[in-house]
Amino acid sequence: MINKEVEKILLKVQKPGRYVGGELNSVIKDKKDVDVRFAFCFPDTYEIGMSHLGMKILYSIFNKVPYIWCERVFAPWLDMEELMIKKNIPLFALESGEAITDFDFIGFTLQYELSFTNVLNMLKLANIPVKSRDRKELKQVVVAGGPCTCNPEPLADFIDIFFIGEGEEVDLEVIELYRKCKKENKTKAEFLKLASKIKGVYVPALYDVEYNDDGTIKSFTPKDNAPKIVEKRIITDMDNSYYPDSFVVPNIEIVHDRAVSEIFRGCIRGCRFCQAGFLYRPVREKSIDVINEQCHTLCNNTGYDEVSLSSLSSSDYTQITDLLEKLNGWAKEEKVSLSLPSLRVDGFSDEILDKIKTVRKSGLTFAPEAGTQRLRDVINKNVFEDELIKTCSKAFNAGWNKVKLYFMIGLPTETYEDVEGIANLAQKVVDTYYRCENRAKGKGVTVTISTASFVPKPFTPFQWYAQNSGKTLQDKQQHLKETISTKKINYNYHDADTSYIEAVFARGDRKLCKVLEKAYEKGFHFDGWGDCFSLENWLNLFDECGIDPDFYACRERGFDEILPWDFLDYGVSKKFLIKECEKAYQNTTTPHCRLKCSNCGAVKYGGGVCFERR
Amino acid sequence: MGEACVLKDVRVWFTKDFECKYISHLDLNRCMLRALHKSKIPIWHTEGFNVHPYATFPLPLSLGFKGERECMDIRLVEDYSYDLIKDKLNESLPRGIKIFDVTEPKMKAKEIAYAVFKIRISSDKITADKLYKTVYELFNKEEISVEKKTKKKGVKEINIKPYLDNYKLEKNIEDVILYITLPAGSVTNINPLLIQKTIEKYYIIDAYFDVTKTDTLDKNLKSFK
Repeated sequence: MINKEVEKILLKVQKPGRYVGGELNSVIKDKKDVDVRFAFCFPDTYEIGMSHLGMKILYSIFNKVPYIWCERVFAPWLDMEELMIKKNIPLFALESGEAITDFDFIGFTLQYELSFTNVLNMLKLANIPVKSRDRKELKQVVVAGGPCTCNPEPLADFIDIFFIGEGEEVDLEVIELYRKCKKENKTKAEFLKLASKIKGVYVPALYDVEYNDDGTIKSFTPKDNAPKIVEKRIITDMDNSYYPDSFVVPNIEIVHDRAVSEIFRGCIRGCRFCQAGFLYRPVREKSIDVINEQCHTLCNNTGYDEVSLSSLSSSDYTQITDLLEKLNGWAKEEKVSLSLPSLRVDGFSDEILDKIKTVRKSGLTFAPEAGTQRLRDVINKNVFEDELIKTCSKAFNAGWNKVKLYFMIGLPTETYEDVEGIANLAQKVVDTYYRCENRAKGKGVTVTISTASFVPKPFTPFQWYAQNSGKTLQDKQQHLKETISTKKINYNYHDADTSYIEAVFARGDRKLCKVLEKAYEKGFHFDGWGDCFSLENWLNLFDECGIDPDFYACRERGFDEILPWDFLDYGVSKKFLIKECEKAYQNTTTPHCRLKCSNCGAVKYGGGVCFERR
Repeated sequence: MGEACVLKDVRVWFTKDFECKYISHLDLNRCMLRALHKSKIPIWHTEGFNVHPYATFPLPLSLGFKGERECMDIRLVEDYSYDLIKDKLNESLPRGIKIFDVTEPKMKAKEIAYAVFKIRISSDKITADKLYKTVYELFNKEEISVEKKTKKKGVKEINIKPYLDNYKLEKNIEDVILYITLPAGSVTNINPLLIQKTIEKYYIIDAYFDVTKTDTLDKNLKSFK
């Protein structure tokens, strides 16, 4: 429903379709029939938020419960925000069109550190007190989940409850508890104490942090019998876990506009830079029949003619060709195409190539991540040059003439030789093209190199590592640029400045809350977008708060330091991470979970790859 | 392919309202293709690398306008009941788009010459009475010039007065209603928002235009069928 005030400004903004709801399969309930109203907030635009699978799953799970009405809320783009403020229109939910100010729950999904300012800005736009302690009544409970909650500390002053791990079960348990507390007229403080007893719940207000003189953490102490260690929640049985049978189908084009089925969670590989690879251990697969059924149902209920099989590394699904075969059993007939993102260089087989559209002929993307074998061993990528060359030959002989290669710059132990290795590898791909006899006739080859700046993340073997300074990263980018000697290679790089701020918040502590508080007061928002991000503004802000951002981004930590996220248990032991870190510096790889168990600790969940028969 | 079959042209009539008022023609096209796919109606698909259901729109509607009698042309590859097309598509579409009829096309898209609009004009700043007088005065000017975007991405000053001859103005308590027939189709197109622009230009009034396209006509002012 579009409220009247919003209607008056819609034709003055870009893409008004972002703000109106009314999509096929969106859920409308009568507010008189529900006990709990949940505003599911995605701290970015509609097009990005609507592409997010986690939101689709939780939206559906919540709305399946008769007493909950979950509605979607996205960050209004700059033009809309400006008009909303001018016309005094508070942030509203798409389904009812009503302001979310008095909702029971305001839930955020934290996918990216640079969206933190949008979280606070959205609370501000909704006229909700931003600090947890200023929300005294039992309503407007602000909760957050998603990968960035693995270090929740920079947001500790603002969020009432963090959900640690996978949300399908714990979210509902907390909502049910809230409903009960509401009926019994309990206070917010009583509710939070009870909630902290639920596994997977972190209530930051129930912990005290003390610091040493050098700014590191001295102690982290629970109060009111809150658990000392907060354990992540995990779904062990993927087949019987809830999966939506329909998605809200957007009326305007979004980033990932297709049906999606998760084929497994987690990743067997253990690439040392990759946070997801550690947070979601162990690997848990869905069976072929379940995936097949879910894909077919979703297509029937949405009208999508494309299904994407989602996972961290699609070709690692144990029966990938059988799965594609099964899906093609109906997909071809029904003119539905299959896409398989996140293909590893070594997983690109003819059998797979045959059965998927992949990306159209224009784009083939691989991520060697590092330019030399030595550095690929450091990060445990386990991809070899000859595999890349073989895969590219295959693709070139099949008619492709464009390849994108993703790398990271600033990885631990990286030298200028490694940086040059990126250009050399790209050059070898170019040379490979001209050796392919069946290459596209009369066409040249384009190899695009993209580099991102490495951001060390919690719960990875590189969590202690000092990020390269902005200057070093820029020098390396420049050096790479100069090493490239042909126009057949394009080079794009991701701005090192945003990676720096990302690194600060990724490994930040509670002292950063005051920086974020100042940031929202000054109107910071959309920091993940070039339109808004300004390193200078951020540096001024840190300066004003008397905080040195290098302390978080560019400081090497010792293994014995108490890290802000040490009280969270994601199943992977610190001992294992230390061992992996030491192996990295010895250029030694670790075999993946199916080759050999490395005793990371995730076996304790009693499921997934740890118990597969081999 | 290869199979010989007789394609049957069908015109699907619909309204575009509520939330769907705010989606562009490109997005409408996407919504319709998805609904056609979901409904599994046996329609003809384009051939080639990127196979998709074939659908065309004789006169696209601008973003922000309601449409009461919009249409889309599709081709069936086998006999299929018009009622079923209507019902199945309605099940597959967002609530802002409603199919109300399915017919055989009687006219060709290029015969379209005019569109009929009902425009509710209001303003926060001045009374309906004053607004009525303003619009009345505007329509009685000798010449009404306004900048119009050209196809080549340029801007051109044009006099729209000659196009504003078939209209009716009505005064309400809160707003003014303008019923107007304007050239539309492949030759000349006059967007009713040009009138809003002229009001702003000549009288510096922020007028809100709520535009509904009520019909499409041929050169003899007969309803497009």
